[in-house]
Amino acid sequence: MSSSKDSPKSGLSRRDFLRAGGAAATSVTGLAGATLETQAQPGQPPASHIPVLGPGPAKISLNVNGREMSTAVEPRVTLLDALRNYLDVTGCKRVCDRGTCGACTVMLEGKPVYSCSMLAVEAQGKAIRTAESLVDGGKLDPVPEKFVQFDAQQCGFCTPGFVVAMRAVLDRNPKATPEDVEQGLQGNICRCGTYEQMRDAIYSLCNRPRRS
Amino acid sequence: MPWPQQRRLLGTKVQRLDGADKSTGRAKYSYDINRPRQCHARILRCPHAHARIKSIDTTVAERTPGFKSIHMVAKPGDELYFAGAELLGIAADTEEHAEDALRAIRVEYEPLPHHVKEAEALRSKGSTVGGGAEAANVTPAGDYSTDNFEQNAYRDAAAVHEAEYGVAIISHQCLETHGLVAQWDEKQENLTVWASTQAVPNTAQQLAQYFKIPATRVKCITHYMGGGFGSKFGPDIQGQIAAELAKKAAQPVKLMLDRAEEVTVGGMRPSAYGKVKIAANKEGLIQAFEVDCYGSPGVGRGATVNFNLLPYVYVNVPHIKRKHQAVRLNLQTARAMRAPGHPQNCLLTEQAIDDLAAKLNVNPIQMRLRNLPPNDQDAIKNAPTTYLALRHTIYTQQIDLVRKMSDWDRKWHPPGQGNGPIKTGLGIALHTWGGSGRGPNPTKITIGADGSVLCQSSTQDLGTAQRTVAAIIVAEILGLDPKDIMVEVGESQHGPSTPSGGSTTCPGTSPAILKAAENARDAFFAAIAPRMNVEVADLEIAPGHVVNKKANQRIPWRQACARLGMNPVQATGDWPTNAQLQQNKELRDLWTTRLSNQGVGGVQIAEVRVDTETGVVRCTNVWAVQDVGLVVNKLGCESQAAGGVVMGVNYALYEECIYDKNSGRLVNPDMEFYKLAGIRDMPQIHVHMMDMPERGVIGIGEPPTISTAAAVGNAIFNAIGVRVPFAPFTPERVLAALARPQGGAR
Ligand code: FES
Ligand code: FES
Repeated sequence: MSSSKDSPKSGLSRRDFLRAGGAAATSVTGLAGATLETQAQPGQPPASHIPVLGPGPAKISLNVNGREMSTAVEPRVTLLDALRNYLDVTGCKRVCDRGTCGACTVMLEGKPVYSCSMLAVEAQGKAIRTAESLVDGGKLDPVPEKFVQFDAQQCGFCTPGFVVAMRAVLDRNPKATPEDVEQGLQGNICRCGTYEQMRDAIYSLCNRPRRS
Repeated sequence: MPWPQQRRLLGTKVQRLDGADKSTGRAKYSYDINRPRQCHARILRCPHAHARIKSIDTTVAERTPGFKSIHMVAKPGDELYFAGAELLGIAADTEEHAEDALRAIRVEYEPLPHHVKEAEALRSKGSTVGGGAEAANVTPAGDYSTDNFEQNAYRDAAAVHEAEYGVAIISHQCLETHGLVAQWDEKQENLTVWASTQAVPNTAQQLAQYFKIPATRVKCITHYMGGGFGSKFGPDIQGQIAAELAKKAAQPVKLMLDRAEEVTVGGMRPSAYGKVKIAANKEGLIQAFEVDCYGSPGVGRGATVNFNLLPYVYVNVPHIKRKHQAVRLNLQTARAMRAPGHPQNCLLTEQAIDDLAAKLNVNPIQMRLRNLPPNDQDAIKNAPTTYLALRHTIYTQQIDLVRKMSDWDRKWHPPGQGNGPIKTGLGIALHTWGGSGRGPNPTKITIGADGSVLCQSSTQDLGTAQRTVAAIIVAEILGLDPKDIMVEVGESQHGPSTPSGGSTTCPGTSPAILKAAENARDAFFAAIAPRMNVEVADLEIAPGHVVNKKANQRIPWRQACARLGMNPVQATGDWPTNAQLQQNKELRDLWTTRLSNQGVGGVQIAEVRVDTETGVVRCTNVWAVQDVGLVVNKLGCESQAAGGVVMGVNYALYEECIYDKNSGRLVNPDMEFYKLAGIRDMPQIHVHMMDMPERGVIGIGEPPTISTAAAVGNAIFNAIGVRVPFAPFTPERVLAALARPQGGAR
């Protein structure tokens, strides 16, 4: 990697970074330092097939709801923060920022993932879908539609995450039972307590009667 | 202007107007605001529970890439009283750079002694929370006794029960953290903030006061709000910091707390622990209630229970003695949390009553029916629609209902009966709450010549479907569909409004909206009558139409509006002033006992399954009956009631702020070790709203969360036959209770 690719803004050259990293590693364990060195010896270019990014911003391109969007982020930026802070896609919410609450759930190639727990650079080349994709003009996808019908949202801050997770379950298994859907929502938390109304929505989506 | 006798929309189920925007992520919360050139800010916080700052070095930080501005709130020599106390804020071009800058700051502290455990601080001398040499962590917060308590209290006792009960500190855990985006205009004279707040005009006002600028120069916008529960009533210190940083950087600044900060400093419900002694005569009438309790408001001050409401609900107990102490600890100040003090009161009272009922061999429902406070004779005469006048009637009806809904008579068994390791049980608890509203809540309505209707006020929608409440009322009066009404809330320039706390918003705004809608209708009639060659009195509203009674002619709404020509009609409505209400009894009765009201009752029954081998409790069903006066939106009411129950089940079984004694720090400032239940952990919730339109509108936010935890506690007692004294009722505590020598509650 040529030094011209280093971000002038970062104020920390790649060489500084490696030196600091190496020093820290030696002081902790020799093994970690060794790993670093096999990947990139100071002063020597790394193997050409390993892309090296950072620490300054790197150009990335993300496919969000069918649109290519590009920006430049430091490699440490999560997919969630790239979407929210750099691309103004704010349907996915930052709540716990460490993979517990599900508010940041997006679909990556159809699979629900916690976007706070994945780096933006890793999501390149994959189809990302957020809650914003579940409405087309005035036409609502059945999942958010049922959320509205049964009032399965109060403050609504958790809702896009639940909606995406629920959409993902039903996409994978259109015949999912209410139990299957609830299973798929285990990684989401709602503080306002909309679970009861969510169950109404789930039963309706699964075409099952609820209560007599 | 009473509420319409014939209700077309009021009290029905109406879907929230902004539901589609919220569920598809299009609704923009404060956290979602991205302004051009916006910077990001972080706050440096004290890692010690109690320390003096020796030095702060920010020189390296101010040279880090992307650094924009810094604002100091503490200085060397200052003493900080809890881990999480603010030192300074830093803004940088990106969040990542703001973090880097924060890490580059060097602070030296002199750690000082601290307390984060109530029981220890209770035994301590002196103060770890400041206040000088005379000060102490423990301060009296109430001492009361009925006359001659000692002589009379236990004279007729057929059974006396004495035990300890309590509940830990919990966090509000709003999903949208506290914070805001602050932007000054080019001249640095006018400030706009997008704040996550329950008090839109107040937030603007407080910032104006802080910067010593005219109130008109600060605007607060809160279109959507991700949870507050009593913890978000102003800009807070982080709001001041953000606005300072924005001013210094001459760029907009976003400062939202992260999750650890949110749990550490974003608000907490104070703990309450107490010894309760309760006695009843042989008829099962409670004769004496004695409580000696304490709890921690954190580093703040004040009671942690509702002192005057002990015993809770059953206020007619003849002999009462109560004492309360506030134990100040080195942790954040308690904030109002959904029905402040009430869930604690309910746990201290209702669990003791069940234990006493068990000693007397009385069914818990009988015990409650016998001890309900009577309808107040004076109130029946003077204010017949109030809680005081109706409480016995309301609770009796509710108990009857919830008993049938839960199939209590078939399912209930004496405590601890049942075979096998998995035990089931039922528990009941009652609650009450005020929930009255007041002005000012000026509401402006505009009717356009194209038939459009706009309703504007500065009040906020916290997820309570407040927009929908407004639309229902306006649509009811104008004969329209709620979807036809465009409602704007959450902008301070629409005038004053009352903060959304204590279930006051719906009762505070609804009468004003009604008045505005009626005024708008009247102004509309006055404008079109001459053009139609009729008298105003000849016009009336029918669904979708204006009726010309004289010509027996029904004119579709839009056509009628077209007669306005170029000029839309505008009208406002608001509460009478407090002075007017005080002076004029008729006015007061209308606004505070018929249009709105205060005081509700609610009863809940919880069903649990306890695994006596693992100690795991599952709450399987909760039945909740709630009075809320006149129901505006049944769908929204039921949502809030069920949500209250969810919060109560979390309180009973999962939530607890755990502080490390040695470091004085919160060890679970997150959402993984701070437990909040997901959908699979939650009971089926069966809500029944009592509609009492003659009472007027009363708030629903607080009440339904109050009695859930006590009902769950009683259900566990019913299941296993021993009392688990302290909530949350974790497996560890359940097993410990089971391991105690038999004999029920200790
Ligand atoms: S924000 Fe990603 S799981 Fe909570
Ligand atoms: S609706 Fe508020 S957190 Fe779920």
